[in-house]
Amino acid sequence: MAREVLSPEEPVVREVDTTQEERLIADRPSLKDWTDLRLGWWGFVRKNMDEPMPAGVGWWQTLGNLLMTLLAFQFTTGVALAMFYSPGTESAYLSVKHINEGHPVGLFVRGLHVWGSTLIVIATVLHLLRVFFWGSYKKPRELTWVMGVMIFNVILGFSFTGYLLPWDQKAYWATTVGTRIAATIPVVGQSMMVLIRGGEEVGALTLTRFYAIHVMVLPALLIGFTGLHLYLVRRHHIAGPVVPVKGPPVKFFPNQLFKDAIVVLFGVGLLAYMSLAMPPGLDGIANPAGTDFAPRPEWYFLGMYELLKIMPAGWEVIATAIIPGLVTMGMFLVPWIDRAESRHPAYRQTIIIAGIAVILMIGLMTLKGVLETPPEGGHQSKPPDVSATIKQ
Amino acid sequence: MCEGNCKDCEKSETEHDKGRRKVLSWSVGIINLAVIAGIFAPVAGFIGSPLKNKAKDDWIDVLGEDEIEVGETKEVKFKTMVEDGYQTIQREYVVFMRRYPDKIVVFDPSCTHLGCRVLYKKEQGRYLCPCHGGVFDEDGKVVSGPPPQALVKHGVRVENGRILVNRRAGIGA
Repeated sequence: MAREVLSPEEPVVREVDTTQEERLIADRPSLKDWTDLRLGWWGFVRKNMDEPMPAGVGWWQTLGNLLMTLLAFQFTTGVALAMFYSPGTESAYLSVKHINEGHPVGLFVRGLHVWGSTLIVIATVLHLLRVFFWGSYKKPRELTWVMGVMIFNVILGFSFTGYLLPWDQKAYWATTVGTRIAATIPVVGQSMMVLIRGGEEVGALTLTRFYAIHVMVLPALLIGFTGLHLYLVRRHHIAGPVVPVKGPPVKFFPNQLFKDAIVVLFGVGLLAYMSLAMPPGLDGIANPAGTDFAPRPEWYFLGMYELLKIMPAGWEVIATAIIPGLVTMGMFLVPWIDRAESRHPAYRQTIIIAGIAVILMIGLMTLKGVLETPPEGGHQSKPPDVSATIKQ
Repeated sequence: MCEGNCKDCEKSETEHDKGRRKVLSWSVGIINLAVIAGIFAPVAGFIGSPLKNKAKDDWIDVLGEDEIEVGETKEVKFKTMVEDGYQTIQREYVVFMRRYPDKIVVFDPSCTHLGCRVLYKKEQGRYLCPCHGGVFDEDGKVVSGPPPQALVKHGVRVENGRILVNRRAGIGA
C-alpha cells in the first residue's frame, strides 16, 4: 500500500505497509514531477495544449505560429551575426564582408536574417489581413488587435534600423533619404531628423544609434508586446470562423499544432531556399561623396517611396507623414471605427471597403516600385541629360 | 475491415482517435525538431567557427644574432600583420629571449597561472608575476607561487645571422 502524503488535514503519517520500492518512488519524484511541483509548468502546458479550437478553425490560424517561429529565428541569427559585427563606420562594412566571405556558413546565416525580415513582413501582413477580414478584433479582442498593430510597427522599425548596419551604399543612401523624411514634418521635423540620426548627417552616431535600437530597444519592445498579445489571445481564446461551423471543438494539440508545423516547415524551407539561392549582396562601402547612386528602400517601404514621387514640391509631408499617419492611426482604431455588431463581412461593408482601398493603394504603389526597380547593380542612376538646357 | 469510417470500424472510436492523435503528435515533434535543427545547426556552426580557425604560423625576424650575447636575457618587441576577425592590422608583441652557449630560447611573457604579463628582474635573475606572486627562474621554470608550469616557449630559428621567432607560443618550440 502506498504511504500517505502529509497534508494539513492529515499531518501524521499513518502506519501502513509499504515496500522499499514504493518508499523510494514516493521520496524520489520523477524530474517532471519535481519541476512541476516547483514551477507548475505541466499544468500550464496541458492547459494550452488542450485549448479547445472551435470547429472551422484550421489553416488560416497557422500564420501566428509561423510569425512567432520566424521571429525566434531572427533573434537566433541576429545574435550570431552580432557576434561578428562591428557597428563603426570604419569596421561595419568590413565585418559584414567578413561574415559573407570569411566563414563557410556566414553568408547563409546572413541570408536567413535578411530574407527572414522579408518573410516576417509578409507573414505579419497576411496575419493582420486574416484577422481584419474575419473581424476577429471585435469585442473583447480590441487590445489583442492593438498589440498586433504595435508588433507590426516594431517589425518595420527592425527593418529600417537593420538596413543601415552593413554600411554599404544601399544602406547609407536609403537611410539618408529615410531619415530625411522626418524633416518634412513642420516645426519639429528638423529636430526629429537630428534626433534619429544622432547628428545632422548620417554618420557614426547614426550607426551606433540604429544598432542600439535594433539589438536592445526593439527586441525588448517586441518581447513585451508579443507577451501581452499571446496572453490576450489565450485569455479570450481563438475567435473562430465568422460563420460558426457545426461540430465539436478540437484540441489545439495535436490537431491545430500539426497544421502549424506544416506551415512552419514550408515557411522555414522557403527561407532556407531563398538564403541559399539568393544570398544577400553587399554594395560598395558607404560613400557620402558618391553622386552616382540612386537609393531605394526595402520593398515594403516602396509604397511610400512611390507616393513621394507623385507629390508636388512642398507637399511631401502628405506622403511622408499625413497619409502614413492616417493609415497607422486607422489601423489602431479599426475595432472602434467598425461599429457593426456582427463579424460577417456582409454587415461590415464600410470598413471592408475602406480596408480594401488602403490595401489596394499600398499594394499598387508597392508593385509600381518593384516593377521600376533597376536590376541588381543598377543602382547607378544615369546622369541627367542637360544638353538641352545648355544655351548654345 | 475498417475503412476509416468510425461507424463501421470494429475498433472503438476512442482508439481510432488515439491512433490518429499519436501519429499527429509524433509528426509535430519530428517537424519541429527538423526545423529547429535546420536553423540552429548552421547558426551553431557559424558561432563556433573560431574553433576551426587557427592562426597562421608566422616566423618573424626580430633580432640579429650579434645583438644578444651568451648568458644575456633580453626583452624583444616586434611588430607583424595579423588577421583579427574582419580586419588585418599591425600588432606589436613582446617576448623574452635568452641566449645559451648552444641555443637561443624565447619565452612567452604570459604567466602560466592566469596570463598576466611577467616582469624580468635582471638583478635577481627572475621573472616575477605582479598578479598573484608567481616567480620563474631565468630558464623559465617555476620557483614559487601558483603557476602550474614553466613559461611557455616560442619556436626559434636562426637563419643567415638573423633570429626568427614564431609568433604563436608553444609552436615549433
